[in-house]
Amino acid sequence: MKRLPLHLLTVLAISSGLASIPTLCAQAAGSGVQEFDPRAFPGQVVDDVVVPVPSEIFSVLDKLGEPNWQQEIRKIDLPKTGDRTKLALQFGMTVAEGFVAVQAENKESVKDIGRDVIDLATALGLIKSVRPHAQAILDAADKQDWSSIRREFDLTQKTVRDTMEQMKDADLSQCVSMGGWLRGTASVTSVIGKNFSADRAELLNQPMLVEHFIASIGKMSGSVKEHGNVSDIARGLKDILAKMEGAVDGFTKDSVRDIGKTCDSLLDGIKAAK
Amino acid sequence: MRLFHHLRAAALALLACAALPASATVDDAHSFAMEAAMPFVEQGFIVREEYWNGEVKSGQKLMIKHQMFKGNEYAFWLGTANDEVAFELKVYDEKGKEITIDGKNDKMFASVRVNPPKTGTYTIVFSLASRKEKGLYWALAYGYR
Repeated sequence: MKRLPLHLLTVLAISSGLASIPTLCAQAAGSGVQEFDPRAFPGQVVDDVVVPVPSEIFSVLDKLGEPNWQQEIRKIDLPKTGDRTKLALQFGMTVAEGFVAVQAENKESVKDIGRDVIDLATALGLIKSVRPHAQAILDAADKQDWSSIRREFDLTQKTVRDTMEQMKDADLSQCVSMGGWLRGTASVTSVIGKNFSADRAELLNQPMLVEHFIASIGKMSGSVKEHGNVSDIARGLKDILAKMEGAVDGFTKDSVRDIGKTCDSLLDGIKAAK
Repeated sequence: MRLFHHLRAAALALLACAALPASATVDDAHSFAMEAAMPFVEQGFIVREEYWNGEVKSGQKLMIKHQMFKGNEYAFWLGTANDEVAFELKVYDEKGKEITIDGKNDKMFASVRVNPPKTGTYTIVFSLASRKEKGLYWALAYGYR
């Protein structure tokens, strides 16, 4: 992840400044087991967050039962737009839809999504870097090589985010991540809602990721931060975070449904023409 | 006073940059992390394409927060582009308890496995130490199954 390289200057400046701070990792009393206190960490904190792809959660849901992934595929009908913020959100959402289609092992849906990826990459001016991956998705779909398709969707998203950051479009890169997370979370809540259990619902315990997205929006330039979809997402994420933080004794069926509703509403906004 | 600190930091950085071998890069570090991942892939792990990387002073500890899901098994692979490096790579739960299993070190990489007991945020702490180099390139990748 080259988007925020750690410069030696920063590391050295911080480390030289912290050299006198003693290590505060506590020893568990009497147990001899060393415990770690992140608040007293004397080293360098890497702020980069690698957001899990939907497949990471889907694989757990598969182990806990046999969800009907076919039912979770949503037909994407995106309006033509030149709005790059909306396009970036749609791109992330579409790639996440690709992970749903792979989980359902639906060849035609994967191919449709592969073509949507090409259209969105073209609109974003990133087709040159995306085309090899999109073509690999279409080729692997013909062979029903699901692991290759999963890898190519992951690579596609990484390539687009890296390219955006090289073009000084870090805000749009974050929009790709957020669009993907919202679609992945919407499908997870849908699967959990159809067959609720505490183990399944626990998969929604992701406050660090939500806080990361809220903080990312806070750092965005005015034009992106004030974009209708992005400001809606900021509000929606705060609601979702409250639900996560309120789930001290685990998520209820109602809280899962509410998180799903919030994600669906935000995704509807991303898909809308305006 | 502030100028002195800036000059001191810049001088330290220049010193460390000079110590880095010109040919070593974060891409090389990632290649070694992927070499560490190969036996895991044979065991069914899916490698994530996104990863963390950077440059760090020898011996400096680094900390990363990461989301993991109960029910998955995770593997982390730390690679470097520099020779003769000693690695430390550990994963802790929210209470600060180490949950790393099966840690292995090689010449250019280290790996650990984790079975998260809960879904939530985990802390990865690692360092690379070298007697030869002051600054080291690193890459940390992960996979799940």
